[in-house]
Formats: sequence, structure tokens, C-alpha cells
Amino acid sequence: MSYSDVPAKGPSGDIVGKPRRNATETRFYLTNEFGLIALIVIFALAFKFTTEGFFSAFNLFTLGRIAAVNIMIGLAMMVVVITGGLNLAVGAIGVCAAMTCGYLIEVVGLPWPLAILSAVALGALLGFINGWTSVRTGLHSFIITLATMSIFFGVMIFLTRAESYRALPPVFAAFGRLKLLGLFSPLLLVSLLAALLLGYLYNLTAVGREMLTAGAKPEAAEMSGINVGRIFIYCHMLSGALAACAALMLVARNGAAIPSMAGQLGQDWLLIAFLGPVLGGTLLAGGKASVLGTCLGAFLVTMLTSGLLLLQLGDFWIQSFLGLLLLAAVLMDKTRRTFLARRNMA
Amino acid sequence: MNGSLANAVRSDWFGPLLVTIVAVAIVGGFNPSFLSPLNIQVLLLAIAVNGLIAFSQMLIIAIGQMNLSVGAIGGLCAIVFAGMMDAWHVPASLAALSALSLGVICGVINGFLIARTGISAFVITLASLSVYKGINLGITHAQPFYNISDGVKSIGQGAIFGIIPWLMLPTMAVGLALWFMLNRQPIGRFILAVGGNQHAAELSGISIANTVVIVHALSGFLAALAGLLLVARLQMGQPTIGDDWLILSFAAPVIGGAVLAGGHVSVPATLLGVVIVAIITQALVLFDIDPFLVQVVLGAMILAAVGANRFRESRLSRNLKRL
Repeated sequence: MSYSDVPAKGPSGDIVGKPRRNATETRFYLTNEFGLIALIVIFALAFKFTTEGFFSAFNLFTLGRIAAVNIMIGLAMMVVVITGGLNLAVGAIGVCAAMTCGYLIEVVGLPWPLAILSAVALGALLGFINGWTSVRTGLHSFIITLATMSIFFGVMIFLTRAESYRALPPVFAAFGRLKLLGLFSPLLLVSLLAALLLGYLYNLTAVGREMLTAGAKPEAAEMSGINVGRIFIYCHMLSGALAACAALMLVARNGAAIPSMAGQLGQDWLLIAFLGPVLGGTLLAGGKASVLGTCLGAFLVTMLTSGLLLLQLGDFWIQSFLGLLLLAAVLMDKTRRTFLARRNMA
Repeated sequence: MNGSLANAVRSDWFGPLLVTIVAVAIVGGFNPSFLSPLNIQVLLLAIAVNGLIAFSQMLIIAIGQMNLSVGAIGGLCAIVFAGMMDAWHVPASLAALSALSLGVICGVINGFLIARTGISAFVITLASLSVYKGINLGITHAQPFYNISDGVKSIGQGAIFGIIPWLMLPTMAVGLALWFMLNRQPIGRFILAVGGNQHAAELSGISIANTVVIVHALSGFLAALAGLLLVARLQMGQPTIGDDWLILSFAAPVIGGAVLAGGHVSVPATLLGVVIVAIITQALVLFDIDPFLVQVVLGAMILAAVGANRFRESRLSRNLKRL
């Protein structure tokens, strides 16, 4: 309590309670989540007045559909980032899972719920390969997932001959086109469900707490009896499964499983995958997850992209803009952290 | 055992050299057209460009960081080079100079942000990757520049004695200069010291920030140079240049025994890594194996190389303990 001179200036006599509340309030205003909500509101209002039809039912529906996939991609990266590692192969795993789903339905003739389950299981399996290799060799997941992203994508493109699966059952496209209350895409509900489950995992289950502990301080976690290697493998499997879900949602949106839907080697997903968690305040060093922040971050990015496209500022510049946004986000986060540390609030 | 031979066996370049010789022997044995002058020229062309890409990443690995924006810088400089010649009819030399300076500037921006903010190189270069790539797309609208000067075109096609492409010369010069810098110059030793142990380097009076900025500037310069060579080779400025450099840029240094934590890289071994990648890619074409599998092979080679490096490290440390 080195700065207890703050309450003395306060009008009321509640000296003990006041500084706490002030600190809590300031801290709340300085959280990523509050900043993101403020930014979302500000930009939504800005787009409302500068563009035509930003709040039209159609645009809100499209926005929700794109945001749903972006949130899922962000979550897929977040669950690995909390271990202090990363997963460059999210895009490659996602495409592999989506193509498997298409193959199982079109060629093998599996019913679609089974095909979806198998695709998610494949995502988890590929994630397991990443995690196991990284834990067993003791190498950083950066180089491992860089290599596996090339391998997964190469095998997928070799097996599919770069052909799409377009004759999917109408359920997929119908789910992608479904409008709840004429506004919301059910895809958004899927992402929200995933986010809620992750929130439950990290806050209320032993495994989730162990993931956070192992990410924050692997040595200390190991000494307190946590099998850190196994926990890291779980995180990678979770990431693979979430990446598969994101790709399947994309299939529902496109109505087809397309090998190029995440770009060359799945690299197109990388920026959005990091934007969500980083904007949301997930520490890249590991040990801290913000599920709500990741969702808000991914939503903000989607909204900005959509608004800028509506403003017709030239869609080729969007990518530069997203890069600058990531830079601004990390710089602001750095400043915020320094500020909190200086005032002993972190 | 002979001391110098034992030293050679333990060096970084010995393993890759062995693999290179074996690969040449096997591929050449099964398919003699592999050693035809035309094929060797194609191989050397690939090595010329890929060598620069690998060196660009190798320098960053030397200080224990990574540069995801190598491809984006190369692509941006390539289209600026071609675009200045196409749209403004700038002489090739001036266009090349501007493009190379742009590469240095891009690198300095990366280095400055990393050194000043202390944010991880991964995030900074991921962000700058999309900024540079976005500028590239904003300028080109994804359309190539075709009208580049005839001089550049003839350099791209020409070869000394009909076998060594002209484009090989810059790469060899860069390789020699880098070797000289890393082994004989103070700045080279500073770079390796910062990569080996940043804290110790700082305590011995090396400016970490300056070293980081210089390394990133050099990396940007080499990426830009690779972009220019590719324009000369393709005879046009394509906006997609650099899109597929990421995996390759890491594969060659890692095959060459570079330690990703920093402090240990080898110029000749990295070049041999490039040669191995080129030979295997070429072999897949010669034996009519699916070109789609190149990605799989590249990924597998990275995994194999990091595994082998790990094994070598642990054996070395065990040997040291026994002493």
C-alpha cells in the first residue's frame, strides 16, 4: 500500500475500502476485455455513420458467420499459446480435417455426423503428433509445427490432387445459411459454446488449472507432481481439434471442402490466429489465457475488416492494416503492462 | 585417429557434405541426365536464389531469433524493382539500388521494433510480414510487372562457360562475405555472442540493440537481393514471389546444423543444406514423383535435421563429461 495517499483526497471517509475499489476500478478499465469492448462499440458507431448498411440484417449475419470461424481459429491458437509454445500448423490441420470430412462423406459414404466426428478426431491426432514430437525431442514447438505444417499440407494436397469436395450433403450449406431471428448465424453459437467449454476447462477443472500452471512455470509444475509433458500434449490435441472445428465451420460457410481455403500451407490463418489471442491479452510466454478476450479480439478484427471493406478503401490494403493492428496491439499491451507494473497493480 | 580428420568429422559441414555426395551419386547413378550441363545449370540457379534466402534467415537464427517476414521483404523488393522499371522506366541499376535499400529499411524496422520494445521477434515479424505483403498487394493488385529491362533479362538467362549462371556470382560473394564477417570480424563475433548468451554479451560491453538492428538490416538486404535475382530468373516481377520461402529458409540452416537458440551457425553447412534441398527437389522431378510431395519432403527433412542436431549435441556433451 505504498500509494495510500489516493483515498485521502477522496470525499468520503471510507479510507480502507476506497483505495481497493479505486484500484479495482482502474484495473478493470485497464483490462484488455474492457478496452476491446470499448473499441468494438466505438468502431461500430463509426461504421454506422460512415458506411451504408453496416447494421443491415444481411451484413450482421455475414459478420457473425466470419467472426465465428475467426474466433474458433483464435481459440485453436490460444490453447497452445498458454503452454508458451505455438502451433503454426493450425491452418494445415484444419484443411486436413475438412478434406477428410469431405472424403469420408463423398467417397466412403459415411453419414455426416460420423464424418464430422472423425474429422475432429483427426485434428486431435495431428495435434497429438505435434505435441508428442515437441515434448519428446524437447525442441520448441515453433520448429516442429513449421515442419509438420509442411508435411500435413503436402500429404493432404498429394492425396486430394488439390481437388475440392463439392457434393456435400445439403445439411452443411443449410447450416451455414441458417439465420436465427433473421440475424444470427448458428455458427456463432458453435464458437460461443466452444468458448464457454474452454472457460469452464480453465476455471473449474483440474486439467485446465494444470495446463495454466504448466504453461506459467513448467519446472515448478513438474515438481508439484504435474506431468507437464502429458499436459502439453493435451493442449496440442485440443488445438488440433479446435482447428478442425474451425475448418468444418468454414466448410459449412462455403458449402464445399476446398484445399486452398487456408492458403498455401494454411499460412493465411496464422495472422488471424495470433491476432485474437494477442489482442485478448493472452501471454505469449504462456501461463495466462483469456477466452473472453480472444473472442472479443477475433470479433473486433472481423468487424474492422468488414467495415473497411464496406468503406471501399481498397481491399488489397486490408492485410497491411491487420499487420499494423497486430503491431499496435502488442505495443499497447506492452505499455499497459509497464503501467500496471509501475503502479504495483499487476 | 588422425586429429584433423576427427575435427572434420565433428564439424558442421561434414554431415551435409556426406549427404550431398551420396545424393549426387545415387541420383546421378539412376538417372545420368541429372549430371547433364543443362540440369546442373538449373540446379545452380535454384541454389543461387535459395542460398540467399537461407543466409537471410541464418543470420537471424544466429542471434536466436526468427524472421517470418523474409519472404514478404523479398517479394516487396522484387515488385518494387520490377515496378520501377515497368511503370517509371527507371534504369535497372537505380531500380536495383532502391529495391535493396528498401530491403534494408524493412529489416531495420523489424530490428528496431524488436530491440526497442523487447517483444518477441516472432510477433513483430508476423505483423510486419502482413504489412509488407499487404503493401505488395496494394501496389500490384496481384498483377505481375512484365516490362523489365533487357539487361536484367539477359543476366537472368546468361551463364559463364554455358554452365554457371551469372546469378550464382552474387550468392557466392555473399557467402564469402558472411563467412568472413562471422569468423573474422568483430561484428560477426558480436552477433554469435549475442545469440550464444545475450546476458553475457551485454555484460562484456556489446550493444544488444545495435547488433539486433544490424542483423535484421542485413537479413532484409539479403532477402531483397534474393527477390531481385528471382525477378531476373523469372523475367518478370510476380507478386507471389516470397510466398513459399518460409519453410525453405528454415530448412537449409537447420540442415546445416544451426542451433535455433542462437550462437551457432555455419555458412558452408547452410549452403550445403541448400544444395541438398535443391538436389532432392530436382530428383523428385527427374524420377517423375509427384511435385506435391516436395512439401512433405522439406518438412520431413527439417524434422530429421533437428533430430540429428539434437542427437549430436547430446553426444558431444556426454563426451565432454567423460573428459
